[in-house]
Amino acid sequence: MVKIVTDSTSDITRDLALSLGITVVPLTVFFGKQSFLDRVEMSTDEFYERLVEDVFPTTTQPSPGVFAEVYNQLAEETSEIVVIVISGKLSGTYQSAVSATSMVKKKGVKIEVIDSRSTAMGLGLLAINAAQKAKTGAKLEEVASSVRTNINRCHPYVYFETLKYLAKGGRVGKAQGLVGSLLSIKPIVTLDDGEVSPAARVRSKKAGLDHLYNFAAQYSGNIEAIAVEHATTPDDANTLVERLAEIFPKDKIIRSTMSPVLGTYMGPNVVGVFILEGEKTT
Amino acid sequence: MQFTRTLSGKDFHEMFLVATEWLEKSVADVNALNVFPVPDGDTGTNMLLTMHSALDEVKDPSAATVAEVAKTMSRGALMGARGNSGVILSQIIAGLSRSLEEVETCDGRCIAKAFEQASITAYKGISNPVEGTILTVIKDVAKAAKAKSLNGTSDIVSIMEEAVTAASESVANTPALLKVLREAGVVDAGGQGLCIILDGALRYLKGEADAMQFRKPQIIPSKVPLTPHSITTPESICDDEVPFGYCTNLLLKGQSLDVEKITTKLKKRGESLVVVGDDKTIRIHVHTLDPGWVIGYLTTLGTLDNVHIQNMDEQHEDFIEMQKEKAPAGGISMVAVVAGDGFAEVFSSLGVSFIVPGGQTMNPSTKDIFQAVEKCAAENIIILPNNKNIILAAEQVKKLTEKNIHVVPSKTMPQGIAALLAFDYDADFDTNHKLMSEAINSVATIEITQAVRSTQVNGLDIQKKQYISILDGQIISADDSLQNSLNQAFEQIDISAAEVVTVYYGESEDGAGAESVSASITGKYPHLQAEIIKGGQRHYNYILSLE
Repeated sequence: MVKIVTDSTSDITRDLALSLGITVVPLTVFFGKQSFLDRVEMSTDEFYERLVEDVFPTTTQPSPGVFAEVYNQLAEETSEIVVIVISGKLSGTYQSAVSATSMVKKKGVKIEVIDSRSTAMGLGLLAINAAQKAKTGAKLEEVASSVRTNINRCHPYVYFETLKYLAKGGRVGKAQGLVGSLLSIKPIVTLDDGEVSPAARVRSKKAGLDHLYNFAAQYSGNIEAIAVEHATTPDDANTLVERLAEIFPKDKIIRSTMSPVLGTYMGPNVVGVFILEGEKTT
Repeated sequence: MQFTRTLSGKDFHEMFLVATEWLEKSVADVNALNVFPVPDGDTGTNMLLTMHSALDEVKDPSAATVAEVAKTMSRGALMGARGNSGVILSQIIAGLSRSLEEVETCDGRCIAKAFEQASITAYKGISNPVEGTILTVIKDVAKAAKAKSLNGTSDIVSIMEEAVTAASESVANTPALLKVLREAGVVDAGGQGLCIILDGALRYLKGEADAMQFRKPQIIPSKVPLTPHSITTPESICDDEVPFGYCTNLLLKGQSLDVEKITTKLKKRGESLVVVGDDKTIRIHVHTLDPGWVIGYLTTLGTLDNVHIQNMDEQHEDFIEMQKEKAPAGGISMVAVVAGDGFAEVFSSLGVSFIVPGGQTMNPSTKDIFQAVEKCAAENIIILPNNKNIILAAEQVKKLTEKNIHVVPSKTMPQGIAALLAFDYDADFDTNHKLMSEAINSVATIEITQAVRSTQVNGLDIQKKQYISILDGQIISADDSLQNSLNQAFEQIDISAAEVVTVYYGESEDGAGAESVSASITGKYPHLQAEIIKGGQRHYNYILSLE
């Protein structure tokens, strides 16, 4: 069976990873010199407790060695591995994952590394979908090609309270125009070909959450999967889930939290909705 | 000497020159005919500047035909049109020009025909013509001139006499047609302005140009009985506004210099005045249209050093150059008319490529907006006029540029900001125009200003200097206390649906005052999230937005 590997910014919880047989490779977050493996040595809650005013953590991608270790372990049980990672425009993880393919000792192992051009549950939904496909017995080519198709059907939409962290971390991309506004404006951000891109601007959180709902609702009737994530405000995310239940079975909506690595760039109070569009063409 | 012959192109031009000088003499009086007792788009100034722009376009009328002069004036007027009345005036001139297209020299019959076309063109240019305005006046003028001409005369003086008589009667009757005029106790300012222009033209034709120097046009009283609070002493409203001019910097050295006296003196001559120093050395900074006067005055007090005079229009050009790079996604650039440096920064920070300075008392011309549009990198331009008096001038830009223009009809700056926030980066030009136009209704704007005269509006008694609250263009309350006036405006709004209140404080106020205004609001409506921003606008103590 094809094995799926992703990175910790996919925000796939440990339980979900276990049940679907997905291997999650952690990135690292640093507070000063202290390092923590993302989602392994530090949880979302622990991260935000430390993220106080004017503290800006940093992050780093997994080394090729870490990926190689994972590949070698998996090679014991499979000869086909699909690796789906965070957008190459946001992180060097893709490079590490690719370099590691040459370090696999066992012969005849096929590894396909795919740049998801997304992150958070955008990446998560792609990995989950790939794992489900693999479970049906699909071969590597089939799984990889379905991931590639799904990339264009995957839509992240995240409400930010501030772009301060994104700007500080140098990941602001095309949303540059949203930074430095004199009014306190809450941006809604998406990813455009793997790059951070502005989607809308609102003046209040309520208006922001309305935007997230309306964004999801436009795909109503053609949704393969939905995920909702929060950082520090579970109530906001829960309210959104209640509303989304109008357009998608509530028990199938995947809930998660932003990983510490993502939190480094998103700051507190973000809420995101992630849609994997169905196959109907409009 | 009275005209008995037909007009040449040169005569035609001269006639309007004299008529414009005639208008210039009564600009302050026409400005004072404002319906709202707030500093508003000054009709007289706008019409005068539009006429100047029309006449300046004619470089050498000496050998030109009437058709050539009229056509050139029409182009100049279109470029220079300011404010609603200026735009309508430019349409009137366009109509004259169209009718005179083939005319080398014109007689009374030609003029009568031209008035008729002017009336038609003016009505066509306005999406919802309102009677009791300059439109009615040109219509009545056209009718009277036509009747006289059909009577068999082609004498230009007698036809113009009929026209001017009709114009005066029509102006006097405007309050009968328009309730707001009746209540405010004024005749329509635009109609009055047109009447003065025609009267000036007639006087020229009668050979009275020289005598006019020592006389002044009469403002026509309303023939409709007015409410008790009719105009007392009309005063010129905010004629100290200087758009750009010269940034003048210097050091004055002397004996027993009087900082206060110099400040008072210079205050009348410019803006952004800074006078600091002691009785021996004073540093002076002022934005003035007349640096010569400033220098002249100061040399009588002492010696000057480090004199720097810089043309701020050029500085402004440089500023505009700097803005060139800032274009939002999707090949769409945005241009906004904004008053106040604080507001300018807000608009700029929200992705507007070009700010056209303007607003209440200094309506930018169509040309000003057109130039900003031309400088934008993109081919698709969205214009935010942010003032009801500027929307028409913005619409006129469509006729001048090759670029694609959409005007979002924002009437206040908060509406403009709401529109900007609705900009969708993924959507196309037309969709964004629609989204932004819809968004202007998502915000309520309260403007607080002080009455410049006593009057009555919507049955509300307003005393001079009282604080007036204006909610989305409607005067809600007048009170001696700013707070009371504001409270009454808040009572008109469904606050429960609002989430954010933004307090933009004007040039006359400071952050502390804004804090207490904001605190009074959040004290009463604790669910509101308040934000305080320096707007820097003139005339309006505060502008609040609720969304």
